[in-house]
Amino acid sequence: MNFEAIIGLEIHVELKTKTKMFSRTPIDFKAEPNTLVTPIDLALPGTLPLVNKEAVIFAIRVSNALHMKIDKLIRFDRKNYFYSDLPKGYQITQDRFPIGSEGYIDLEVEGTIKRVRIQRLHLEEDTAKQIHLGDETLIDYNRAGIPLIEIVTHPDLRSGKEAAVYIEKIRQIVTFSDVSDGKMEEGSLRCDVNISLRPYGASSFGEKVEIKNLNSISNVERAINLEIKRQEKILLKGEKVIAETRRYDDSIKDTVSMRSKDETVDYKYFPETNILPIKLSGAFVNEVISNCPELADKKRKRYIKEYSLSDYDADILLLDKYNAAYFDEAAKFTSFYKTLSNWVTVEIATYLNSEQICISDFPIEPKRIALLVNLIESGDVSNKQARDIFTIMLKSTDEPLNIAKTHNLMQISDENVILETIRIVLNENKGAIEDYRAGKDRAFGFLIGKIMGKSRGKFNPTLTSKLLKREIDKNE
Amino acid sequence: MKYELLTIVELHNLYVSKKVTPLDVVEYLIELIKKDKHNFMEANMFEEAIKLAKNIGEVDKDNLLWGIPFLIKDNIATKEVITSASSKILSNYISPFDATMIKKLKAIKAIPLGKTTMDEFAMGGKGTTSHNGFTYNPLDKTKTKMMGGSSSGSAAAVTVPVVPFALASDTGDSIRKPASYGGIVGFKPSWGRISRYGLFSFAPSMDHAGYFTRSVFDAALLLEALAGYDENDPTSSTHVVDKYSKNTANSTSNYQIAVIKGIFDNILDEKLKSLFSKSIEELKILGHKVEFVEMPITLLRAIFPTYFVISCAEASSNTACYDGVNFGVRLEGNTYEEIVTKTRSELFSAQIKKRILYGAYALSKDNKDETYLRAQRSRRKIVEFINKLFEKYDFIYLPAAPSVAPKFNEYNNDDNFAIADNHLAIANFGGYPSITIPLGKINGLPVGVNFTGRPFEESIVLNIAYQLEQILEKKGA
Repeated sequence: MNFEAIIGLEIHVELKTKTKMFSRTPIDFKAEPNTLVTPIDLALPGTLPLVNKEAVIFAIRVSNALHMKIDKLIRFDRKNYFYSDLPKGYQITQDRFPIGSEGYIDLEVEGTIKRVRIQRLHLEEDTAKQIHLGDETLIDYNRAGIPLIEIVTHPDLRSGKEAAVYIEKIRQIVTFSDVSDGKMEEGSLRCDVNISLRPYGASSFGEKVEIKNLNSISNVERAINLEIKRQEKILLKGEKVIAETRRYDDSIKDTVSMRSKDETVDYKYFPETNILPIKLSGAFVNEVISNCPELADKKRKRYIKEYSLSDYDADILLLDKYNAAYFDEAAKFTSFYKTLSNWVTVEIATYLNSEQICISDFPIEPKRIALLVNLIESGDVSNKQARDIFTIMLKSTDEPLNIAKTHNLMQISDENVILETIRIVLNENKGAIEDYRAGKDRAFGFLIGKIMGKSRGKFNPTLTSKLLKREIDKNE
Repeated sequence: MKYELLTIVELHNLYVSKKVTPLDVVEYLIELIKKDKHNFMEANMFEEAIKLAKNIGEVDKDNLLWGIPFLIKDNIATKEVITSASSKILSNYISPFDATMIKKLKAIKAIPLGKTTMDEFAMGGKGTTSHNGFTYNPLDKTKTKMMGGSSSGSAAAVTVPVVPFALASDTGDSIRKPASYGGIVGFKPSWGRISRYGLFSFAPSMDHAGYFTRSVFDAALLLEALAGYDENDPTSSTHVVDKYSKNTANSTSNYQIAVIKGIFDNILDEKLKSLFSKSIEELKILGHKVEFVEMPITLLRAIFPTYFVISCAEASSNTACYDGVNFGVRLEGNTYEEIVTKTRSELFSAQIKKRILYGAYALSKDNKDETYLRAQRSRRKIVEFINKLFEKYDFIYLPAAPSVAPKFNEYNNDDNFAIADNHLAIANFGGYPSITIPLGKINGLPVGVNFTGRPFEESIVLNIAYQLEQILEKKGA
């Protein structure tokens, strides 16, 4: 029997707002533990939650990118449970009225477009971070109260591969819209998987298993594939899958059972009355949407349509938001987009890779790279010269043209100068002219070599070749 | 001179005339407080108070709260001393911040003398569940009668009296009922009128900050000092802060006043009924219209259960932070579960545990619709009915309690569904401003009446209370 996997994902995205979701406490992921904590974050009695406007703005950006309906009345609820990382004994979340509802996203999976429906997107707060040391647990409240958005799909995904593409797409949206670092490895993007199997053609669902603790996209894909196989085996034996929560263990590269579903907590949701419903005006929502940084999909279209880049080049530039931002900034100063794209994705990428740094730490500003591209395209410098100039630019703040001049790295494009040398060489090599006219192409190369030799490689090769041809043809 | 008998205004006039200094008054009152026989005190702030009084500087003629001593219910956060909410679980807890109310009063140089006993976490109506035991009604020498709660200590302190005013909170009737038993003024303005920042949440949708005074005018003065938007309490209102004291002392006539018949009829004490009826005649003489109105009995009967379900549900969540992990008293254990279980089981009183369990029950998946959501629907219906009344009437006027202060063993508050004993919660459902003032005495013990008005119409609520107060005082004298 063949089974179809029914997969839904819940993604938590940590927002990079300046302050926490319900307090004015600053957020800094690099800060020492428990240094960014105020009475609200510790749930000290008498404190009241203050809604972070920036977090609401960020949630609207992502809701919009996911084509969701945006609720203009922001309301919160309490989710009640006891846990050592939860200072209030409840989490403020949006249970009844998520800010975003019923949207979708189109994925390109192995050449076909797959639409995944998004059920809801809601705002909530993060818990404190627990650090287990032997039989002791340390709690870092810096993380307590950091804003999160939770994005929940309908059970529309069918494979580990689709899930991986989906997460990558969400990562791209949250990073390009500048709402999160979107780093799964660091926990700023977390994914829980719900998965069940059913025979192809069946309309009812099988028992659902939830998988938690997945800290990379590849782990999600692997865990899903393993889980499909595990459930398949059970079903083929004629047994029943147990509804449970499983945890992915990176050390054994497998999932292990955490708890069965009948131990599920009743979260006793009810409205958070310490926060009055917040009305958003249509104008506010529109402004948030129009001020949202350009998303990857839109950039991709622009690169291909307006800049005539290939799909491949566009995708490479869009692998990383900072890459794309660098390219966009440089593109303001040149119109030779293809050459610019090559420089960003080849020369610069190679350098970053060898230095193990990120493009935001790259020493050459986008504008100077654009000017270098312009020098290449105008014929003022050759590709080889450009690479030499690039090396100097890494350690200098000088403009590429100045560097080219001071380091004698310019091509000569003065027709008179080039023609003078051409004539001398032609005079010295009359035999070669005859050969060329007799149809020996090699003779042309020979002459070019002679000319370039005399210029010590500085003549603009394209121009030189054009002038030589014209000169020979003229003397025919 | 017996400074304890003076109102805020009278004390102020003494300061301005330079006959006494705040230090004289503070030292005198501290000695009185030290003799407390009614168990109204939690932590005292005597040293701090004397320091403040010594360094207070020149009297400010325009600031009527300058140098005025006061007490604070122990669920209002203070930096200097423990704020325990009269619970064992917080018996070591010092807040790192002052409640906004405290900050405001300190800024205008009122002088806090300490904290007052209360029903643990403000849950209770008798003043019997504090970790320090019962609070006694100072007007009853036999020590068998209750002060009423939950603001029992603040009420007792103003009743004794030892201070001209005391801060408190009111979630069901925790200010306005004890005020009736003490023969004092108890006022809770609209929800959002006074910042709740620093007031320990019990049931936030119904929690109000307020206070006890011995005159309506003092209550108006205090509101001027305490009202206003607070950026630390986003539920506080930006509604304009009126000149309450100025508006209070005028003789507007022709207010429309409603007496809810079903509640009045529920009162069995004939002496109270007759006192109340006489007060209606006084109001009419003042030029106001007083009418008995009907309210469906189903709604009246729903008041107490609605209050109880919602307050317990919210309380079950608001008390979840008391887990012994990052503040308060912790009973040690090997795991988080052990610590939480031990701390909460041993340090919460039976009353609190009962309410938390009931609240958790009301919110649980299987019972939510029949309990919590049903209570919410009933709350909405009651508020809709009252709002409708307020389209025609300016106030609801009723006895604040069905009798004088009862004996401790006379009834069990939680199981008391008596309509006349629980109707004040209406003002908590709708966030209405509501004031209790003394009506008179029955066998030497006071009874009070209550005016409840439209949200943010404190000015006229205070005004009608002031008018009646003036007449009753004149008649009494």
